[in-house]
Amino acid sequence: MLELNMDLKNKFEEAAKAMQLRLRQKPSTQVLRNMILEKGIGSFNQCERLNYQELSNIVEKGGIVGVDGSTNNTGGPYPYLLTLQQALAKVCNQEKGHVTITDAFSPLTMIASMGEEEYREFVKENLACLEVKAAIAAFEQYSPRVILLDGSLVRYKIEAAPLWEKLKNRALSQNTILVGIVEGISTGVISECLKDRLPKSGYPASDWEILFGLLQVGEMLEIAPGLFKEGFRTCFLRSSVDPKPIGIDLPEEQQVYLTEVANLVFTLTPRDGRGIPLWLDIIDKNVRISDTIMEGLLSTYMGEEYVEFLKPKRQKREM
Amino acid sequence: MQVVGLTTPQEVYVASKDRKFRINELLVLEDPYQGNLIGEVVESNSYNRFIPLSIGSGIHDADVIESLKHLGYSISEDEINIAKVKLLTEANFPVVTGCPVRLPTFDEVRGYLLKGKREDGFLLGEIKNTEETAATMEDELKGLCEMYSRGKIYKTRNVPFFLDLRSFQQYPHIGVFGGSGSGKSFGLRVIMEEVMKHRFPALMLDPHYEMEFSESQDNTMEKKDFKDDFRKFQIGEHIGVEFLHLSRGDLLALLSAVSPLTEAMASAIAELHLRGDTYLSFSNRLELLIEALEMGRPRVEQALRQDMEPMEKEKYKKLRQLLEEYQNIPLPSVQGIAWRLRRLHNSGLFSRDIKLVKEAMMQGKLAVVQGPIWLLQVFSTYLLSNVYRQRRDYKDGELKGEASGEYFPPFIIATDEAHNFAPKGRDAATKDIITEIAQEGRKYGVFLVLATQRPTLLDETVTAQLNTKVIFRTVRASDIATITEETDIKTEEARRLPYLPSGDAFMSSPLFGRTVAIRVRFPHTRSPHTQNPLDEIQIHRETTEDKLLESIKPHLPIYAANFARAVEEINRDTGENYQVRTLKAALDTLVEKGKLKKQTSPLGDIFL
Repeated sequence: MLELNMDLKNKFEEAAKAMQLRLRQKPSTQVLRNMILEKGIGSFNQCERLNYQELSNIVEKGGIVGVDGSTNNTGGPYPYLLTLQQALAKVCNQEKGHVTITDAFSPLTMIASMGEEEYREFVKENLACLEVKAAIAAFEQYSPRVILLDGSLVRYKIEAAPLWEKLKNRALSQNTILVGIVEGISTGVISECLKDRLPKSGYPASDWEILFGLLQVGEMLEIAPGLFKEGFRTCFLRSSVDPKPIGIDLPEEQQVYLTEVANLVFTLTPRDGRGIPLWLDIIDKNVRISDTIMEGLLSTYMGEEYVEFLKPKRQKREM
Repeated sequence: MQVVGLTTPQEVYVASKDRKFRINELLVLEDPYQGNLIGEVVESNSYNRFIPLSIGSGIHDADVIESLKHLGYSISEDEINIAKVKLLTEANFPVVTGCPVRLPTFDEVRGYLLKGKREDGFLLGEIKNTEETAATMEDELKGLCEMYSRGKIYKTRNVPFFLDLRSFQQYPHIGVFGGSGSGKSFGLRVIMEEVMKHRFPALMLDPHYEMEFSESQDNTMEKKDFKDDFRKFQIGEHIGVEFLHLSRGDLLALLSAVSPLTEAMASAIAELHLRGDTYLSFSNRLELLIEALEMGRPRVEQALRQDMEPMEKEKYKKLRQLLEEYQNIPLPSVQGIAWRLRRLHNSGLFSRDIKLVKEAMMQGKLAVVQGPIWLLQVFSTYLLSNVYRQRRDYKDGELKGEASGEYFPPFIIATDEAHNFAPKGRDAATKDIITEIAQEGRKYGVFLVLATQRPTLLDETVTAQLNTKVIFRTVRASDIATITEETDIKTEEARRLPYLPSGDAFMSSPLFGRTVAIRVRFPHTRSPHTQNPLDEIQIHRETTEDKLLESIKPHLPIYAANFARAVEEINRDTGENYQVRTLKAALDTLVEKGKLKKQTSPLGDIFL
């Protein structure tokens, strides 16, 4: 075993201790629940699993469409790379099929030259655009009751504003519910509101940190309207035994459906899973562009010589 | 369907989204460079990428899957089917991955499924999982036999399986292996029915008394029986051994079949058995010698010195003569020979001959020889040697250009429980002759059909000569090992052996060059043992009860006072042997069943 550098060890220990302390000082779940209620941040509700009749009603009204996207890069360091993106909107009814929208590009061949950071931003925005496009196409083809999008709806509003507006307007006009399922909650609204009551070491905290283990399985915290995410309604839901909750976004105009949507998400989520509706996991599996596929595409359409040309030195590292 | 993954010239994987593969199916791989290649499915798998094998991945939540179903998405439809396909003939180089795969038409695979001419074949059943291919074959081959599955009888929809009779000249012997309930007896029955259909002379040893071909199955669509094509003989009753024609070797074999002979006994027989002996003369000689040996020379001499009847005198003279002649033979040996001989005699073996069997065979019929297994062993030693010798002599004579002997046709010898007739590692009377036929029978047109549930117990020389093997369900590991060793069965198939449904079998024949999965057809005739023992008891009980009821009716009411007389009269009328106690019990049973009434009175029970 390699001898670990003493200094490294000490520094690490210090950092870990600080982290532990922060967790130890976190108020108990009951205290936190009371704080949340007292501050009027939101209300706790228990979700119900929908029965088959209720599910059938959803199917009658058009069923469910799930939307997800995937990005994969291949090649070498920026800008010597190729980006492949794919968005998939799939309706639950197998006979109806699905909509796939793809895009592929490289910074080298794009008209407007941009920096690495800029490019990364572009890729992100482009994916959001593709996803919304897929959602619009699915909306037009299937006129579903519910569209589940993978990720926060705010993201679409920011990154693909015009398309998002188009989707939202159409959805609102035909009463199709738009739902964003947030796997990695990054907001910190709750700790912001509880700022004065939380121990110093525990602020600022991400919402998921506050809610970790706070909710029962199937319990949701409905955030009071207007508190955050302008134009949207949000709730946090512990949809499986996993103690980390997920977030659910709805356009403000559709907030009446919040409970119904939370129930649906809870119904579609495996109890022992990580908390994401199975339907989105299935779509994720379908849409994902694996490294093997990337490599295959690259060597097929580019030729072995070019692959060698693009391959970064780092990948040739043997140790 | 298309070829996927890494390929070799022998083996490929084929995947399909919507078609499940069935084991033993034939597929055509359309290789763009090598042309069409034919392969056989040896393994079939399905998998669903959304339902992984790992536990705790959260996808096993049945409720969620069910909910999705109600939303119109059935996770099971996202299934991928994969088959491991072995090429029937090795390709020159690996098959091209991605090349399309389809089901063959019959003409493309005719050579792999049908051998020889249809008229010359034994129609044993169907080749499994060939429906789609069978749909493209000519009409004459369709629906040739009836199949039985899950209580239903239907015309086969698969390609028929024919075992070419002409190929017997090349591959003469058949082994039928399978545990009890595997369909082995049905298989043997079907083979014998086909033998009869072709009027091929045959001889069958039947220790189970089940080879009866005169009753056709009740529920079959086309009734057919073989009343006139077979004859049944019971040893001792219809057929037997003519003692006069027994060679010394035959006699030794017969006696040792009862129980093995000691060296001393064998040499005693050699001395005692004389040319031209009848059973009477031989057994007389034995009995007298025993008496003489028991008395001893001094007492015989002494008896001779006494005054006695001339007849008596004659006897003692004879005893003395025997003592002089066979002075070296010990008494126990003679006694041993005598009881063996008596046992053979008591079975009726020596009171008949085998003419009837030969006659039936000459007429192209199946001769079924029945008897208890020990007697069957004894007798078949004699019978098989006899008919085999006759055929051999005729054929040898013909080869030498001497058209001397009487014509004797080629024939088939069949038996169940073959491991009793040619056991491994121990002696049996029949073993020599069966081994000889196994090794040389081909030359003379004498073929074996040997069925056993324990191939491991069958003599290895014999097993090695069984070219064609029909293998039914086998559970014992040692038997599976033997089968794998002795046949071209593949490991995948050997693994399936314990799970084969009754009636399914693997056909391993050098003619096909591979193992063919078949299902044996529904026999035309049925075995006499099909009545369930439970039914038998119930029916018997019912009839005796009814009989009793009939006979006591005139005596009713029966009460204590007239009971004894009633017993007497009932015994007289029915010929039964009731006691007061047993009749009372019988009457109580009738009361229990509600067939009779019983009243209790101060004077005891009254039966009304």
